[in-house]
Amino acid sequence: MTGLLAIGLLIAASLAIGVYGVRAARTAPDFLVASRRVGTGRNAMAIAGEYVSAASVLGLAGLLLKNGIGTLWIAIGFTAGYVAVVALVAGPMRRSGAYTVPDFAEYRLGSPAIRKLCGAIVLVIMWLYLVPQFKGAGVVLQLVSGTPYWVGVVLAGVVVSGSIAVGGMRSATYVQAFHYLVKLVFIAVPAVYLMVHVGPEVRADALTPVGVPESWSRPLLDIENSGHPLLATWSMLLATTLGAIGLPHVIMRFHTSPSARAARRVGVIVIALLGLFYLFPAVYGLLGRVLTPHLVHSNATDTVAVVLPGEAVPGALGSVLTALVAAGAFAAFLSTSSGLLLALAGGLSHDLFGGRGLVGRLSRLRLAVAAGALVSVGLSLPAAHLDINMLVGWAFAVAASTFCPLLVLGIWWPRLTVRGAASGLVVGALTATGAALASALTEGHSGLVTVLLAQPASWTVPLAFATMIAVSLRGEPPAGAERAVLRLHAP
Amino acid sequence: MLRYGLRVEWRPWYPARRPGSLWRRGSASSVDTGAGATVAALREARLLGSDLRGGLHGSGGTAAARRIRRLLDADAVVLADLEGPAAQHGSLPPGSEAGALLDEVYARGEALRQPPLCAAPLLVADELAGCVIAAGEVAAEDLSEVAGLVAEALDHAELSGARARIAAADLRTLRAQISPHFLHNALAVIAAHIRSDPTRARGLLTDFADYLRYSFSTKGDYATVAAELQAIQTYLELQSARFDDRLEITVRMAPEILPVAIPFLVVQPIVENAVRHGLEKKAGRGHIGVSGYGEGTMCVIEIEDDGVGMDPELARAILAGSGPRSKGVGLANVDQRLRTVYGQEFGLLIETAPDHGTRVEARVPRYRRGVVAQ
Repeated sequence: MTGLLAIGLLIAASLAIGVYGVRAARTAPDFLVASRRVGTGRNAMAIAGEYVSAASVLGLAGLLLKNGIGTLWIAIGFTAGYVAVVALVAGPMRRSGAYTVPDFAEYRLGSPAIRKLCGAIVLVIMWLYLVPQFKGAGVVLQLVSGTPYWVGVVLAGVVVSGSIAVGGMRSATYVQAFHYLVKLVFIAVPAVYLMVHVGPEVRADALTPVGVPESWSRPLLDIENSGHPLLATWSMLLATTLGAIGLPHVIMRFHTSPSARAARRVGVIVIALLGLFYLFPAVYGLLGRVLTPHLVHSNATDTVAVVLPGEAVPGALGSVLTALVAAGAFAAFLSTSSGLLLALAGGLSHDLFGGRGLVGRLSRLRLAVAAGALVSVGLSLPAAHLDINMLVGWAFAVAASTFCPLLVLGIWWPRLTVRGAASGLVVGALTATGAALASALTEGHSGLVTVLLAQPASWTVPLAFATMIAVSLRGEPPAGAERAVLRLHAP
Repeated sequence: MLRYGLRVEWRPWYPARRPGSLWRRGSASSVDTGAGATVAALREARLLGSDLRGGLHGSGGTAAARRIRRLLDADAVVLADLEGPAAQHGSLPPGSEAGALLDEVYARGEALRQPPLCAAPLLVADELAGCVIAAGEVAAEDLSEVAGLVAEALDHAELSGARARIAAADLRTLRAQISPHFLHNALAVIAAHIRSDPTRARGLLTDFADYLRYSFSTKGDYATVAAELQAIQTYLELQSARFDDRLEITVRMAPEILPVAIPFLVVQPIVENAVRHGLEKKAGRGHIGVSGYGEGTMCVIEIEDDGVGMDPELARAILAGSGPRSKGVGLANVDQRLRTVYGQEFGLLIETAPDHGTRVEARVPRYRRGVVAQ
């Protein structure tokens, strides 16, 4: 019950901030001064808040428990992604003035058709990313209230689309920044407490685990013991690092910065904030290996962060700690999935079906949010057995093999053509989603094939880049390409 | 004889049943006169119109010449304006004197046939504007019809250009217009403060200077929401001094929309309208609220006042441009410019009723190609 209460409070607070958060200033001068100060810090917290998803809060600890400490590479990849973002795209993207990736494609290549293609890929990535979020919410609600998994998933869908409909994302920057703090505090405080509480023996056990397979403590990521840990690790790092560039909801956050320089500075602060956060999931995974090894056998490792405090600390305090973690996990779900749903709904109503209707633009957005949530819930129901981090990894892989080449080549290579970009996008999207689907739906491949299908980035990303470059070299770049590129780099 | 103007009666102007002509591929054997052929002809006419959207010298000029050449089944087609040939498709037979023919057509103002060439004048809005020359077996009658079509397309292109110029002129008028009313009031209120409160007067004068600089700035057609907000702030400072601080102002703006580019002077006229028509006539304190937030890919800006409001019918008339001259010229202009920039569905939304205040909402995409703040 404590858990449900904590989640309820969190939702209420988020809604209040979302709807009334901008009631800060009474007069225009006050406001303008305040808004200049908002700048980098809060903006960076908002980006980190939207980025730290259920995959980070629940999935990372779960996968660490299950697959071994090689999993920590994922956290490194998630964070390192922002190095690539800051170095390659944040500044130019801000200068372009484009809000979404489809906007950028239209700006750079001047073709409405490529806008539609990008809109469709946004949908694929967003849904791949949303399903694990809904799975995380379902799992958390199941743990704190005992309701079946599907009730939790449906409830999560209702909460998130409802909160968007009543205007809960109107001051998105403030909500997301608040959620970052919630996540950090609610994950960090129980983690620190647990570390102190369990005593020196358990701590020693956690650092030098006994009775685990040797592969568990190998610092490489192996998928289903396929026997190619180095390839799997590289592939995953490639996907997460380059995927962060291509994630549609990440890139649109830099639009908020007043200038390109500020956008880059925001990116640097994001790296620090993410680095701080990712210290803590490891604690749950390592302690879980000692205290709750039974989760591995029941294939419920994604729940370790929520279960562990209750098992380690008996009584009321334990349930309070559990409630904190649960609320933190729910905040992760809420912020990420509302950001994703808005990006998805924007794509649905603006890029794919938008433009012509004279009535109901507002209701069209709401309709698109509802439709997006409905499909995500529908897809999440059968996804209960899939690891959260596997699913998120696929979203990153698709982003890395589609939008990453588009943005990087679009920004740095004036010769990119519409045809080249389109064929690269199609090739990247088809191969990456195809591999993910094959990996999810089929079983019993040999070792190498398993890795190549489950972590497709190592071959799909180079393939997409190569396709874009090869096809572009055979054609003429669109009129005004030089000017468009120059604008991206001119200070 | 003038072959120009809207024809009420439609005669097929395309070469009927000529072997090798365009319509054969759709209708297998001999149904050239059927609905399929008509539709195909209409489509060709429409596409010709879109080719010529940029005028004869535009990017579609050659495409238009090619289209006409296929229509007439000619060997070559030249489109010329009064300065000489502008676009050409196919090569003219050697020895043919297109230049001389052109001069002749311009001198006589009618279609001429000098085998192997045939020429017809382009009469745009009853004025001689150019000439179509076709080489090959082309009937003068057919060519004249095509010339009429081209002339109409050119007229159309000129009209849409004029529409954009009118919108730009409207904006200039709006800038120049910052109501004399307001200038007078602002100076009067500053004068009134000079002796009693020199510091305030000085501040107001600075505001006034800032406001003028923004309104007169000619840097471009777009500004960021933040810049527009700054202009509103200075405007409202001046107004609230005039209202003896009866005016209460609230600004709620989500920081993420501050860098969004919007057309220049879009919010300020709405605020001005709220002050002049909503609050000036109201006794006692008045409140005006400006708020903005992002909604997916949209940026929403709302201006609310609790003034005297107006009849919804009047609001509708104002947006339609048929309202009384003294009222809401600014609103109609803003509405018109938003529609020109973003498309027909992006006009203003006005909610109002007598004695219940007014709420005006502008909802625009956060990004639109070409909309960049300077």
